[in-house]
Amino acid sequence: MYRIRLHGRGGQGMKTASRILGSALFLEGYEVQDAPRYGAERRGAPIFAYVRADKQPINERGIIASPDLIIVADDSLVPVAAAGVLAGVDADCVLLINSDDDKETWRQRLNFKGKIYTLPVETEDRAELRFIGATCSGAAACLLGIISRESLTQAIQTELSALGMAVINTNLTKALAAFDHMQTAAGCVSEGKAILATDYQSPDWVQLPFEEARTSAPAIHAAATSVNVNTGVWRTLRPVIDYQLCNKCWWICSTFCPDGAIDVDDNNTPQIDYQHCKGCMICVAQCPPHAISSVAEELAQANEKKAAKRKQGVRS
Amino acid sequence: MTEAAVGFYRRMKDLPSTHLLGTGTAMCAGCGGLEALHEIYDIIGDKSIFVNAAGCMTLLSVYPFTPFRGSWLYTAMASAPAGAQGVRDALDILKAKKQITDDEDMQVVVLTGDGSAYGMGLSATSGAMERDLDFLYICYDNEGYGNTGQQYSGATPHAAKTSTSKGARGFAGFKKDLFSIWAAHQPAYVATVIGAEPLDLAKKIEKARSLKGPRMIIALSPCPTGWDYDPKETVNIGKLAVKTGVWPLKEYINGKVVHTKIPRQRQPLEDYLKCQGRYKHLFEPQRNEVMLNQLQQKIDQYWDNING
Repeated sequence: MYRIRLHGRGGQGMKTASRILGSALFLEGYEVQDAPRYGAERRGAPIFAYVRADKQPINERGIIASPDLIIVADDSLVPVAAAGVLAGVDADCVLLINSDDDKETWRQRLNFKGKIYTLPVETEDRAELRFIGATCSGAAACLLGIISRESLTQAIQTELSALGMAVINTNLTKALAAFDHMQTAAGCVSEGKAILATDYQSPDWVQLPFEEARTSAPAIHAAATSVNVNTGVWRTLRPVIDYQLCNKCWWICSTFCPDGAIDVDDNNTPQIDYQHCKGCMICVAQCPPHAISSVAEELAQANEKKAAKRKQGVRS
Repeated sequence: MTEAAVGFYRRMKDLPSTHLLGTGTAMCAGCGGLEALHEIYDIIGDKSIFVNAAGCMTLLSVYPFTPFRGSWLYTAMASAPAGAQGVRDALDILKAKKQITDDEDMQVVVLTGDGSAYGMGLSATSGAMERDLDFLYICYDNEGYGNTGQQYSGATPHAAKTSTSKGARGFAGFKKDLFSIWAAHQPAYVATVIGAEPLDLAKKIEKARSLKGPRMIIALSPCPTGWDYDPKETVNIGKLAVKTGVWPLKEYINGKVVHTKIPRQRQPLEDYLKCQGRYKHLFEPQRNEVMLNQLQQKIDQYWDNING
């Protein structure tokens, strides 16, 4: 059985990618399961989808713990613990990752034993990765080696039929280009072993004894504990205030920020809380003197690193 | 709150510049509902207990994290006002037994989405108003069951595409007039607000806060995920909802309905529709003139009745 796990961010089309792969495998005569994981399906959040394909009826259900192929549409997910990109990998597992860093870098970085393939990132701005789902499904179809170009084409046409010809054609071009790009590695994914119910190992969780409700009911005794959640990692774009242009208005950015992530200090100067800013860019759209601009988060982080290094250099 | 304090919010400058609601919630980037809630919470203050029906905002408080500074109670989708009754009664009993002082009393606030407010929870809400329950009800209305992928609800507007109304004509039904349904119960206060008009919102919440009895607020909540637009447009779309006359800002108090912001020169409805993916089928592959005219006429009729 082939077990494929797809990782991406909400909005990048990984659910669609799983459906494309599922349909293509079905067209090739396989029994197929494809399903996204129900959860926080909002934009930017880690998204999971799963595909199983076998010539035999599939009795496995649920999430895929030990995948044969992992597809990562967004390399910024790798360090996010909640995304669990590397959960259950072994030496037979193939990793397909959308990244500008080459596969050798990833091999060393992750100490990964299996094969790694990268898809070159086409854009600096992750918010622009609109077709990455199709690209990933095309590359993965080739790596599996059991999906023909024709089945891939037909699967994309079926799955995207509601979106009109222009969208279908763009996705087809991207997917087929990725399919051809991976030709040297065609068929490198091998089928995983059958998993028996008797081999099941229960997850490594803590068993809590049953207690009466007033003892065991969860109670939070502090105010606004949500500030401990770092929603700043959702951001693909970063709003940056140019204080030269800021006219210290009547707190427009601060009021409109849905998350309350902009406070105004005693000098009427707004301060963006980057630990929590989700990068919706409402402040950029609303600021009357256009004092807030959007910078690709990746670029902003790279610049920060450079600046920090320079500072260190000066010190030593 | 004393009478003298009412009317504090006269200019944008009077709006709070630091915020009470905690950051780090799981709401989508650009959430119009969260925008309204954080503006509302600044004015209600931390001496409040939130009773939350199932919906997107259930995810505000996920143990051990909460953005609130007071307690939060989670109820099933249809029963938030019943939960509020229990909380209000408990506070009243504590007061009667002198276990808390009048100063320690709290606002009981129901928070639900439109799925609950316009549909499943309507009966419990009607009962609460009938019993003249002293509570504040905030409905964040994103015109569909947003948390589960935007299926249509009683608040979905005519012709909008949802995941359960995908055809060329969109949703066949019409948005319920919840403002009038609520006002027909003659509660202490009913108002419509939107996060994109924070001053109007602040004035209304301040007024609601100063009253006793059922105080009912509907906040239209532009939803980037459900309405299909770029998150940065949330405020622009909210402002357009008011300027095109789609979302009349009004209040019901002492038996009268007053419009608090009348768009003198209404922008064409099309300006509001064409920036949202859920109305794309009205413009592509070709313009659906018949439907666009019908929708505009409906808005015009509403305002003709108001302006007389």
